Amino acid sequence: MANKIQNSYVIEVDSLCVEINQTSVLKSLSFSVARGEIYALLGGNGAGKSTTLKTILGFHVPSSGKLKIDGQDVYSELDTVRQKTAYLPENATLYPHLSAIENIEYFLSLAEIAKSNEEIEGALTRVALQSAAWRRPLDSYSKGMRQKTAIALALLRSAPIFLLDEPTSGLDPVAIDEFNQLVSELAGSGASILMVTHDVYGACQVANRIGLLRNGELVGEFEAEQPEKIDTQAVHAAFAQVQTRVTAK
Amino acid sequence: MRGISAFQVTCVFKDEWRYWLRSKLAITVLAIGSLLTFASVAMTAIYMHDLAHQRHAMQHASEQAFVEQPDRHPHRMVHYGHYAFKTPPPLSLLDPGVDAYTGNAIFLEGHRQNSATFAEQRQSTGLTKLGSLAPAFIGQVLAPLMLILIGYSMMSRERESQTLAFLVAQGTSIFTLILGKGLALGSVAGLILLPLASAALFAMSQGESLVIAFSFVGAYGLYLGFWVLLGLLVSTLASTSRASFTLLVVAWIILCVAMPRVASTTASAVAPSVGKLETDFMVINELRKLGDGHNANDPAFKKLKQSLLEKYKVDKVEALPINFRGVVASQSEGQLTQVLNRFAHQQMTQELQQVRIARQFGWASPKVALHALSMVLSGTSLETHHRFLTETEALRFNFVQSLNQAHVEQLSYQDDINRNKGDEAWQKARVDASNWQMIQGFEFTIDNVKTRLVRGQTGLVQLTLWVLVLLVLIRWAGRRAL
Repeated sequence: MANKIQNSYVIEVDSLCVEINQTSVLKSLSFSVARGEIYALLGGNGAGKSTTLKTILGFHVPSSGKLKIDGQDVYSELDTVRQKTAYLPENATLYPHLSAIENIEYFLSLAEIAKSNEEIEGALTRVALQSAAWRRPLDSYSKGMRQKTAIALALLRSAPIFLLDEPTSGLDPVAIDEFNQLVSELAGSGASILMVTHDVYGACQVANRIGLLRNGELVGEFEAEQPEKIDTQAVHAAFAQVQTRVTAK
Repeated sequence: MRGISAFQVTCVFKDEWRYWLRSKLAITVLAIGSLLTFASVAMTAIYMHDLAHQRHAMQHASEQAFVEQPDRHPHRMVHYGHYAFKTPPPLSLLDPGVDAYTGNAIFLEGHRQNSATFAEQRQSTGLTKLGSLAPAFIGQVLAPLMLILIGYSMMSRERESQTLAFLVAQGTSIFTLILGKGLALGSVAGLILLPLASAALFAMSQGESLVIAFSFVGAYGLYLGFWVLLGLLVSTLASTSRASFTLLVVAWIILCVAMPRVASTTASAVAPSVGKLETDFMVINELRKLGDGHNANDPAFKKLKQSLLEKYKVDKVEALPINFRGVVASQSEGQLTQVLNRFAHQQMTQELQQVRIARQFGWASPKVALHALSMVLSGTSLETHHRFLTETEALRFNFVQSLNQAHVEQLSYQDDINRNKGDEAWQKARVDASNWQMIQGFEFTIDNVKTRLVRGQTGLVQLTLWVLVLLVLIRWAGRRAL
């Protein structure tokens, strides 16, 4: 299902084809994410979710198709595009031997961004990471706490686009709620969020739009003006149908 | 690919050091490694410094003992003999090379070419015979292991914790990471190299040239640079730190432990040399054909006797104006030395052939390349030892023939053959002690700078090539790191 490319879209994926080791992983994939929108790309294992994110980040080179971030071609403006995106990999552990503050300082210094201690502490407060943990090494953190640290870093980088890879996988329900709230706040402040997940209910809770991915193709799209108004049953049924086809195949 | 910024590289460099300082393993390895290297350099430096002084003193004492001998029969002095010592070259404090096995002193006497003696490894007891902890051994074998233990996970742990994708996604180039981490591990290599560089400075104060000292430290720098690059390459390609560690240890075993043995075994198989016992028997057989130089009536000297009688137009040796027994001794020594030199030359050629074959394995192992280069530059290689043997043999031959000449010219044949007929005859069969003076002034000097550099150029090319190959591979690996 192709989306019409509009200028207001921050992420524009048009007829994207990616081959890895001579296997077609993404097949003419098209979708777009508008400013302030949360788009969830839903799919089972091997559907091409992570490949989509990695292609947007420039880790994979498409064989054909167009890919633009904030109006700029990803491959000719890779550095600029990467500065505008905040990527949160699945199981982002950051550096376990460093504290949250040290991790943030290090990543910011590599991005050549200067932030004061107050600004760093402000970001950590905003993501609701307990202050007692700020100076503890991350090897004592839960996954949720590491996610918060990574989001605080993204906030400090003032990235307008967030690419989240299975962000709630392995989080407890409370942490998932906190995370969803944070993501909603980010979208409310104008950030565009593309998350890939296989969690149907989680996606329905937080996303404005859900794209259903199967074997590298977008096979369905569900949309609502407000999150939680997407028809969860319909999405679940469609997802189950897609999964059955994949299994049968 | 985003450009590499010096600021970012510095950040990565500092973070790597912060990681090591917080990691107990890295800091323990670094502490033990530094301590071991400093201790080894200090101990070897003291030992070699003492040895150099001791050898100077012993050379002097040996010469004094010889020249202070009273008037004697010249042939007694031929058998009294004399020691020639090889003073250890300044850089032998870092790499004793073949000297530890071949020996540094030779007893010079008539009719024999003795082997060098006082080899450290032969004199030592127990397990030290298996090899001492010389700085060269630490630099060639243990330092790479230290670098592996410290740096095996440099890039792989970034991949394992997904920080690699995280960093690249925020715009940091992989090559910034590789360069920063490479420089960090390079600084560890620098710390390991520091005692060697200090010792090389000390060697300069002992007379070593700046070019050689710089080349020596540079060669070790290139070698450790190879291990830094190999660590980077493997940890960039390996999917896990465990895999990276395993691969690096396997590489260390192959390159540092197995390959040098393969090199020497192959050299022995391709260019086999005759054993000492077998050679000794062959030498004895050859010498038997020459006749006994102590016996002027030996049939082997009949021709000599005849030619002298004809030359001086006399009918018996007693009428010759020279001492026939001295002439026999001199001719016998000359013929015997030719035979001995022929066997010695064969032996040296075989040994050199083996060494050259073994050195070709420097294309297969940088450890083999450095091992040869280190010995050549420090002046403790087989070539230098062969020159010591050649020079001491020349010294031996000259002193024996000088004594034989005194025997010919300064001692009458009559007095010589009657020397055992009482005290007075014994006293008459002597030459003046001033003849012993020709022994003085032997000093073995190290090969000059040019010779050592020329000999070491293959090793240097081999090491440089290893480093260049790894640089190309790292460039390739960096592009497929994600």
